[in-house]
Amino acid sequence: MVVKKWKLEKGASCYNCGDATIHDVEVDQYNIKIRCRDCGFARFYAFHMVNLPDKK
Amino acid sequence: MKVHLRVFVEVENLGKAMNALVDAGITGFYVLEYKGMSPQDWKGFSIKEDPKSAVGLIRDYANDAMLICSVVDEDKTDKIVEEIMESLEGEKYTILEVPIKRIIVNYKQKESERAETWLLEKEVPCFYCGENAVQRIRIDMNKAKIWCTNCGAARYYLVKGVEKEEK
Repeated sequence: MVVKKWKLEKGASCYNCGDATIHDVEVDQYNIKIRCRDCGFARFYAFHMVNLPDKK
Repeated sequence: MKVHLRVFVEVENLGKAMNALVDAGITGFYVLEYKGMSPQDWKGFSIKEDPKSAVGLIRDYANDAMLICSVVDEDKTDKIVEEIMESLEGEKYTILEVPIKRIIVNYKQKESERAETWLLEKEVPCFYCGENAVQRIRIDMNKAKIWCTNCGAARYYLVKGVEKEEK
């Protein structure tokens, strides 16, 4: 499973500063990082598991 | 003033009653399923007081029925009731209009409002099926899920921590 790093953006109210700001969302194989562009508050998610359907 | 409109109908007339209510312009409602007995059925009954008999009586004699409730403006009530009466003509129903003294509606705290779920999309080749398909990303406060809209392969992530940058 090889996944290139994705860089996404999401406008939302920041959990930390409460302002409506743009958040950078970086997704790769093992981690997701979400960072508020305004206050720099970041959340990290780590890979947990994968659920694969049967290949047709 | 607002009115709490309660429409009691038999199960088979639920659809008719709901359509009439929607046509009449109600905006929201809730529905309860219940077992009931009308006074004519009830007349002459006296129940043995042990729980088994009481429950058995309900099972054997009470009818399945539905209660549709809605909060409506007082001036619109007559029109709604007329609509129901028209569409349920010849059927068995009961309508109650209860005046409402006060309505208090509480929404969730702002804290949880901020913790809403995010949905993002990215179109790339899927790591599993290889098709160039939309990969949906759902991010909650404590977990995230990424799945392929083509094959359904899903990856799950759990929150690891947060980092505050010093200004």
